Amino acid sequence: MRDRSFAPSRILIYLVVTLFAAAYLAPLVVVVLNSLRTNEEIAQGSMIGWPQHLAWGNYALAWSGFCIAETCAGIRPYMLNSALVTIPATIFSTLLGAVAGYAVSLWRFRGDNWIYGIVTLGLFLPQQMRLLPWTIVLRDIGLINTLWGLVLIHTIQGLSFTVLFCRNYYIAIPHELIRAARIDGAGFFRIFWRIILPLSAPILIVTVIWQFTHIWNEFLYGVTFTTGQQQPVTAALIALSAAVADIPQHGVQSAAVIIAALPTLLIYLFGGRYFVRGLTAGAVK
Amino acid sequence: MSNVVSTAARPATSEMVRRLPEYLMIWVPLLLSAAHLISFSIWTIWISFTPSTLIPVSGWVGLRNYNAVLASRNWQIAFDNLLLFGIAFVLLSLITGLALAILLDQRIRGENVLRTIFLYPLAVSFVVTGTVWSWLLNPGIGIEKLIHDLGWSSFHFDWLVNRDMAIWTIVIAAIWQSSGFAMALFLAGLRSVDTDIIRAAQIDGAGPIRTYVRVILPTLWPITITVVVVQLQFAISAFDLVRALTNGGPGIATQLPALVVYDLMFQRSQLGRGAAAAVLMLLILLAVLLPYAAWRYVQRRQATHA
Amino acid sequence: MPITTTRRRLLAGSAAALALPAFARAQGAVKPRLTAISQWSAGSDGAAITALGKKFEEKGGVWQHSPVPGFTTEMMNKLRAQIIAGDPPACSQLKGPEIAAWSKIAPTVDLDAVVAAAGYEKVVAPDLAKLHKPGGKWIALPLQIYSTNMLFLSKRAMDKAKADKPPVTWADFNDLAEKMKAAGVTFPVANGGTRADDGQKFEASLAGISPTAYRAAAMNLDKKALEGPEMKAAFVQMRKITNWMDPNVGAQPYAINLKRFVDGDMGMLIMGGWAQGVLKNAGFKLDDFVIAPGPSDNGNPVFLLNADAFIFWQRKEPDLQAGQALMAQLVMDPAIQTMYSQITGSIPVRTDVDLSGEGWSDGQRRTAAALKDAVANNQAVLSLAHNMAQENGLTAAMIDVFTEYAKNKTIKPEEAVTRLAEAVEGSR
Repeated sequence: MRDRSFAPSRILIYLVVTLFAAAYLAPLVVVVLNSLRTNEEIAQGSMIGWPQHLAWGNYALAWSGFCIAETCAGIRPYMLNSALVTIPATIFSTLLGAVAGYAVSLWRFRGDNWIYGIVTLGLFLPQQMRLLPWTIVLRDIGLINTLWGLVLIHTIQGLSFTVLFCRNYYIAIPHELIRAARIDGAGFFRIFWRIILPLSAPILIVTVIWQFTHIWNEFLYGVTFTTGQQQPVTAALIALSAAVADIPQHGVQSAAVIIAALPTLLIYLFGGRYFVRGLTAGAVK
Repeated sequence: MSNVVSTAARPATSEMVRRLPEYLMIWVPLLLSAAHLISFSIWTIWISFTPSTLIPVSGWVGLRNYNAVLASRNWQIAFDNLLLFGIAFVLLSLITGLALAILLDQRIRGENVLRTIFLYPLAVSFVVTGTVWSWLLNPGIGIEKLIHDLGWSSFHFDWLVNRDMAIWTIVIAAIWQSSGFAMALFLAGLRSVDTDIIRAAQIDGAGPIRTYVRVILPTLWPITITVVVVQLQFAISAFDLVRALTNGGPGIATQLPALVVYDLMFQRSQLGRGAAAAVLMLLILLAVLLPYAAWRYVQRRQATHA
Repeated sequence: MPITTTRRRLLAGSAAALALPAFARAQGAVKPRLTAISQWSAGSDGAAITALGKKFEEKGGVWQHSPVPGFTTEMMNKLRAQIIAGDPPACSQLKGPEIAAWSKIAPTVDLDAVVAAAGYEKVVAPDLAKLHKPGGKWIALPLQIYSTNMLFLSKRAMDKAKADKPPVTWADFNDLAEKMKAAGVTFPVANGGTRADDGQKFEASLAGISPTAYRAAAMNLDKKALEGPEMKAAFVQMRKITNWMDPNVGAQPYAINLKRFVDGDMGMLIMGGWAQGVLKNAGFKLDDFVIAPGPSDNGNPVFLLNADAFIFWQRKEPDLQAGQALMAQLVMDPAIQTMYSQITGSIPVRTDVDLSGEGWSDGQRRTAAALKDAVANNQAVLSLAHNMAQENGLTAAMIDVFTEYAKNKTIKPEEAVTRLAEAVEGSR
């Protein structure tokens, strides 16, 4: 099984794996190639092709050149906006989800199953349905058109996922550990801080990766609840692609897509190994 | 349940004050989250019975919005598509994810690199996935054109513009984006199978395939359920993907309920009908989730009794 | 938490409607400021609104434009959110019957006085004016006009077919398309695959066959007209058009085909005048193509009107009110309309702008002439595909039928007529 007994057919395995990998990589390769072709070059041929000469200018334009109406600053300022929303919302939803997951799994209190059930149901409530209610809520608490409003939305909505995964992870921790600590006089936070948190790295990496990518890639709330210069990076990408009334700028668009996806891609590149490890511990229950 | 630390039934007042911070930390986020879900759902249900158009208004129109939605071709097509897309996508991404996980579990070289390759699509936004696949799958500018330019001019791959096949392009793009997650979960499951069981099976003379089918895969059931739930959630939120890939076309052949909801609520300014469609969508979801919840409940009961 | 916003509550602030004296007085005292929302973020649209902003700033104003990239729906989401929050922009992009619909959910500015002061009403086509004064008062100002059924002809495809003049009637059009096909033009009709694109094919067909039937069916939703013989004829013509199109376009916009069009691989493009700005921006020359009014069976041009406009939302802040006054004056100014149209390829709203000068193209001159002709013959009608004839809900329901018909050739014309009538009924 996990030894070398498969040896004769290993060539086949490598072949299949390579084919799969090629299929998964193809879209990325196409975008990378297009990001190095000029708009005209793409328009003359097809979307799939080798750059005739490397058009690095696309990246300069995408990063700080192209215009969205009167603002010609490229994608750069919007990257910052996205970071200002994504980083706090990821931290808050992960931390609060970890504490709540820990409470639900290891402390048990009246109604815990109910509230846990309801919160995780949130995974299935479609986003577009929540747009108007959020508008009303943000109006009433005065956070409309602020980045903090978006942080609040993503924190609360993100809890559905973080609580689910943290709870499933913590439930595997032996309760004797907690009981012993309580007998020693440790309280809720002390146990969390001293015992639970040090054990949590794998699952926190999973929730951080998940939350970060989801919030970073969000568009609908991002354009509705911000104004002018506060828009997230997805809005800038759409501005490049949805110019229906114009000649497609596929080269610059591809470069912008690559730049905008870099933070999340890097997170998967470096965190991917822990992702699987964390899931091994967390989601399997 | 018996081995869980239970909090005191009736804490004294001073105890309450002392523990206030932890109550706040636990309850405030959980209650906010639960409250927003419940109140937003109730709000939507209420709106679905009102004559709201551009903005929410009060009033009562009974089931008129529901009747209008159910009678519309858009909804009927969207409903059929959801069944097809939901089943095909969840099944195929299970199979793809499992296949990738089993392959990666063969102690192959470069596992880290391969795992990253299968996972990276998760990092990409739906909009980008939809846009890029709309390039690749478009017969005029994508793969078909490339193959024609290479000289094989009878090659045909026009699912994107074919009414009957277009829904499968969404399946393809969705699997590309999310099967890495299924793979990660299955790989996690495979890695946590007790090696003693495997060894025992091998001692009994089971071949590798037999060992997989008879011994290892059955242990993956709980994970499979998790994968199905997560993929289902993905199928529902695949809204941006469809919008960028086909925008419901050709014609209205690839409408999906989430698209209809958004379209009615915001593009057609028929908020009441959009809310009705959203409620119908929630009902479909409940029809899927309730059996799962019941199954979990029975399982937990059994675990407690054991 | 009050979870609904009733109409009454929104209108509560409108009791003291903004009257001219306050409006005019506000202007001198403070630095005018304008908050604006539009979806114009890229290409010639983005360039034009940016130029308008520059003019606003030159006049001493503070220009605060929030472009909302994406589809019109996202722009409307943003506007709706601002209105629900009680913080509407001083002005925002909105057009057609949506102006009337939205004006019911939040108080707007009464522009009658400024419009009268500028003598603007005399120089705006009456049908168009009506859309911008839903309650009898001007609350919105049109900015530029397009015809959605202009016919763009590829010079190279014309040469291939040995044709030298644009078709006048649908019969001419069909003739020319056949000739092009025979002469080796791969697709006699250049097209995109968006919903609006499919809608335009139908409205151009129907309006060209009978502007009277168009007015009755598409604009007035007359039940009899919706099932009349012209409707079937229009669907038959539309089927012909779709048979000449590239089936592989998917959901891509028409602009993706402009190169093939200029190269003569595609022959004719039925599109709004904005395509001219796009062609120009893309580096194609004006003598690569010819622009003519869309086919009309009675020989006189039919003009399918599409006009972009700004609606003005009531604000209490004196600087915003001053900004609104300044913006209104700018939008009505012939020089500004000239500047705007020359960037986007549209024609000015004002009928008294002289297009003979430099900076205007033949296409624009022809469009303006067509409008004049059409108005004189009562053949200027409102575009359905571009949300000028009906509110969005009805338009979308009708376009569902057009787009299915365009992409599913097993639907018979008679069947499409029935479906359209049903769609209208189901969406009322």
